[in-house]
Amino acid sequence: MNIEKKDINQLIHDTRSPLNRISMQAELIKMVLENDMPKEKALTAVNKIIVACQDCSQGLQEITEFTQ
Amino acid sequence: MLQVLLVDDDAEFTDVACQIIEFIGHQVWVASNLSEAQQWLSQQEFDHVLLDFMLPDGSGLHLIDYLKQNHLTPYVTLITGHPSVKGMLAGLCGPKVNYIVKPLQREDIEATLNRQNKNTKVADSKLPKLHFGCLVGESKPMLELYSMIKRVAKTSANVMLMGESGVGKEVVANAIHFATDTKEPMVATNCGALSKELISSELFGHEKGAFTGAIARKDGVFVRAGNGTLFLDEITEMPLDMQPNLLRVLENQRVIPVGGTQEVAVNCRVVSATNRKLEELAQGNIIREDVYYRLAVFPINIPALSERKEDIPLLAEVFLQQLNHENNTGFAWAPEQLDILKNNPWPGNVRELRHAIHRAFIMSEPASKTIQLPDTFISPFASNTRQSSAISAGQTIEDLEKELIRVTLNQVDGNKTQAAEMLGISTKTLYNRLHAYGDFAV
Repeated sequence: MNIEKKDINQLIHDTRSPLNRISMQAELIKMVLENDMPKEKALTAVNKIIVACQDCSQGLQEITEFTQ
Repeated sequence: MLQVLLVDDDAEFTDVACQIIEFIGHQVWVASNLSEAQQWLSQQEFDHVLLDFMLPDGSGLHLIDYLKQNHLTPYVTLITGHPSVKGMLAGLCGPKVNYIVKPLQREDIEATLNRQNKNTKVADSKLPKLHFGCLVGESKPMLELYSMIKRVAKTSANVMLMGESGVGKEVVANAIHFATDTKEPMVATNCGALSKELISSELFGHEKGAFTGAIARKDGVFVRAGNGTLFLDEITEMPLDMQPNLLRVLENQRVIPVGGTQEVAVNCRVVSATNRKLEELAQGNIIREDVYYRLAVFPINIPALSERKEDIPLLAEVFLQQLNHENNTGFAWAPEQLDILKNNPWPGNVRELRHAIHRAFIMSEPASKTIQLPDTFISPFASNTRQSSAISAGQTIEDLEKELIRVTLNQVDGNKTQAAEMLGISTKTLYNRLHAYGDFAV
C-alpha cells in the first residue's frame, strides 16, 4: 500500500470515528426519552453530537484537501 | 448477564457504549489498547469481546491470535469501518468471530450480544450455578464461604485464604474481587515463584537503571492493582527478611520503587494465600506475626474437596461442559460415573479432579457420548498421603508399627541409627522389631 492510500485510509478512519460517536450518542438520547433516565444525560449527549459533527466536517475537509 | 470486554481507543465511544451495554443488562469492562485488553483477559473470563479493528498498538486480529494462543474462547465481534473485512474473517477465524460495521446502533450491539446469549442459555440451563461468576458448589461449607465472601467484599479488609493445595485459592480471590463490584483491576503474583533479588522489584516496582537489567521503569504489583485487588499467592514462601518491607507498605499504604526516592501511594485490597496450616504458621518461622495480622484481617479457610463431596458431581458437570464447549463435543456423565468420582478421596482437591476429568476426556472415544473413566485415579501425591494416613479400623497395632518403621527407614535411606532416633526408640529395639518382622526389605 503506498503512502497516499495509507494516509487517505487513516483520514477516512478518523472521520468515521465521530460518525460512530454521533450514532451512539443518538441511541443514548433515545434510551433517555424512552425510559425514566435523567435528562442531563440527553443534554450531554446532544452537546457531544454537536462537537462530533464539527470533527466530522473537519475530517471531510482534510480528505477534500488531500485528494485535490 | 454476560461479561463483556470492550476494546476501543475512542474514550467517548466506549463511555456511551458502556452505558448502552449496561442498560441492555450486561457487565462491561473497557480496554483502550491491545496491551490493556490482554491484561484484562489474563485476569478474568469474558463471554464476549467487542473489538475495534484498528488500535493504537496493533490490529484487533492480534488480540484474536492472543486468545487462540492462550486457549481463551470468548465470542469476538470486530467493530470495523469496512464490511469487506468479512472475507478476511472467514479465512482467519472460527465460528465464534463475527463483525459489526460502524457507525453502530444499539440494535447492532444488542443483536450480537443476544445471539451469543441464546447459545449460552441452552448450556447454562443444564449447568450448575456459578457463584460470583466462578465458584461451584451448594454444600454447607461452600454456602458459608459465599457468605464470608459477601461480607468481606463490602469492606476493604485484607483477606488471607488458607486451604490445602488445589482447593482453588486464586478462584476464591477472584470471587472476592468480583463481589467487590469494581472496575479496578485484580493483579496476581506468586511470592514463591520470585527470586529474592526480584521480589522487591515485582512488588514495589523499580526505576530505570536501579540494577543491572533494569532498562526501563516498571510499576510494581501494588501500583498496578490501583484501587482493586492484589492477590499474593504462596505468601508464606516469601523470604522472612523481605517481610519487613511488605509490612511497611501494608502499614503506610505507600511504596518506594527499587532505586527510587519518591513514595507512591497505594490503595488496593491485599488477598494473600497459603497452603500452610494455622499451627504451622504459629510454630514455624515462616511468617512474621506483625505481617500475619496485617494480611489476615479476615482469614478464610477454604474447605478441602473431601469435606464437600456432594459438590463433586456439580464440579464434574461444569468441567465437562467447559471441555465440550472448547472442543465442540457433546460428552455427558452417566450417573454411576458421578458416584465413582464422588467416592474418590481427591487429596489433590479440585485441581486433581479437574486434571482427572481432562485426562478422561482426552482418552474417551470421540464417537461415544459418554466419558470413559479410568479404573483407578492414580496420583503421585495421593499415594504419599494415603501411605501416611492409611489407618483404618481392623488393622493391628503390629501392622501399623511395621508400616511406620518401613516408612521411616525409607525416609532415611535405611540408616537404622537415624531411623531409631526419629522413631524415639533405641537402635537395639529397632533391630529387635525388624528381626521380629522378618527383616523386611526397605
